[in-house]
Amino acid sequence: MTDDIELTLTATPGPAAVATVTGEIDLHTAPGLRTRALELIDQGHRHLILDLSGVGFCDSAGLSALIGIWHGAQGAGGSLALAAVPDRLMRMLTLTGVDSLLPHYPSIADALSARQGAPDAA
Amino acid sequence: MPEQASASEDGVPGKRLHLVPDEVVEAGRMEAVRRYDILDTPPDGAFDRVAALAARLFDVPVATVTIVDEDRIWFKAAHGLNGVSEIGRNPGLCGSAVLRDDALVIPDTLLDDVACGNPLVTGPLGVRFYAAAPITTTDGHKLGTVNVLDTKPRSITAEQTATLTDLAAIVMDEMELRLSALRTVRQEQRVAEAERAAREQAERDKAAIASFASTLQRTLLPPALPTVPGLELACHYHTASVHDVGGDFYDVFPLPSGKWGLFLGDVCGKGAEAATITSLARYTLRASAQHTDDPVAVLEALNSALLADVWAGSRFCTAFFATFTPDAAGGFTVELATGGHPPAYHLSPAPPAAGPATHTRAEAVRPKGGMLIGAFPDARFASTTLHLAPGQALLLYTDGLTEAHTSTDAMLGDEGLTAFLTARPASCGAAQLIQDTVGLLDALPEGASDDVALLALSVPAPDQAAAATGARSTAHTTAAPAGEEH
Repeated sequence: MTDDIELTLTATPGPAAVATVTGEIDLHTAPGLRTRALELIDQGHRHLILDLSGVGFCDSAGLSALIGIWHGAQGAGGSLALAAVPDRLMRMLTLTGVDSLLPHYPSIADALSARQGAPDAA
Repeated sequence: MPEQASASEDGVPGKRLHLVPDEVVEAGRMEAVRRYDILDTPPDGAFDRVAALAARLFDVPVATVTIVDEDRIWFKAAHGLNGVSEIGRNPGLCGSAVLRDDALVIPDTLLDDVACGNPLVTGPLGVRFYAAAPITTTDGHKLGTVNVLDTKPRSITAEQTATLTDLAAIVMDEMELRLSALRTVRQEQRVAEAERAAREQAERDKAAIASFASTLQRTLLPPALPTVPGLELACHYHTASVHDVGGDFYDVFPLPSGKWGLFLGDVCGKGAEAATITSLARYTLRASAQHTDDPVAVLEALNSALLADVWAGSRFCTAFFATFTPDAAGGFTVELATGGHPPAYHLSPAPPAAGPATHTRAEAVRPKGGMLIGAFPDARFASTTLHLAPGQALLLYTDGLTEAHTSTDAMLGDEGLTAFLTARPASCGAAQLIQDTVGLLDALPEGASDDVALLALSVPAPDQAAAATGARSTAHTTAAPAGEEH
């Protein structure tokens, strides 16, 4: 496990932002991920789409971080969507019923096209 | 400067004023002597050189550096006085010299009415000439003297007296240097001592915390499972480290409606924060179940309680809550609700058609739609009802079981657990089921690396029930040895 996790803003279509997560999400890195994502929301990117294709490992700490980010986005009147969710995280999302609140898509393209119909899409 | 009587002019031999120590001045002086911590220290080259220099400058056989103690005069350096380290504090010579601010010069001791009675004068040494300059601290205390002695009377010049005073000042400088070095060493010793004490305190704290954690751990567990007529209950609890208070919890208890309540859950996270949630979850579940025996309503109450807590929305748990009650068919009706917890397994004997290697039918029980508890205000929970017939069992567990590593990068998983359950005989009771499952964990290369809680219920088959003396409940709790952290 590593202490490094990166959250890179890759596209900003209107109030939405696509951010790519790279690294492992565990007990040590999850708080950092949560903080950085909440900063993006604070900066006005209230509809956040996280690209998780670069996430090698994610445990329940990662799930906690995602729920925290979801709360942040909700509080800002925005939303959180996930793209390319790793298998283990997907199983956790399903098992815990969190998948019903966190929209998830196979790819960023799918997530963006799903946003076209959203009320305040760009 | 302490006020001190000073001698009148010494010009008139034999008429020197006899000074006696003032009590207050003497107390301050003794305190200064002790501060420099020089009494009874080993010989020191710097002081020896001053004594030798004085003897040479004055061309006298004896020169000494003395420190005047309460009741003795101690020689820090003594040139020409072999084998003498101290003498009594008799008046006349050094004893009198430390009572005055300036140098004391006695050209002929026999003509001095105080000195003439001093043992150094009357004794074998036969001192006839004595001159001393007090060693004076910056705050005016006279610690002792630098003095020169001769066995014949003589007189010295004002310059020579000034030289003697300078030598005393050199001794004082040396003692200041020595004191400052002493203070540095003492400071270092204090720091070292403080560090040692802090280390010892840390060791004690560590032991106290470990003991506190294990005590807390015990309070978070039911002391024993109750005896439920017609049902066999067994459980197992393992914490990955004695230093970590586990986030797994379970309990079995009677409800006011006459049913039984049961829960098993897992708080996300570890340590003290998780322990507070574990505690909150246990007591909320037990308390809520006193008001309603609808398992979904009980989980909703827990969801509200966790969201009302200070960590609202950031501390979650997954849990099963179930009620069970004997039914007419000799088994138990179990109504089971889940909040995001891994499936329970309903175990029953496999039909012969399942094949020779399949002894048990393991059916995953997970009501659809049960969400994580404590994460969302509008979380939904779901329940299902099952019939636990004689010869059947129900296994509940936390994810430490399914996430136990079977190799470096593979976990037991649902598949591994199902394979294990189906391959073992179904007819065994809850205690055997728990024992076998613990055996499965123990056989893994890394064992259980996370906390694990297991809870099993079984209804004895009619033939077993006849053999058994009654329902049994077994429980055991384990923790990894200290220091084996994961």
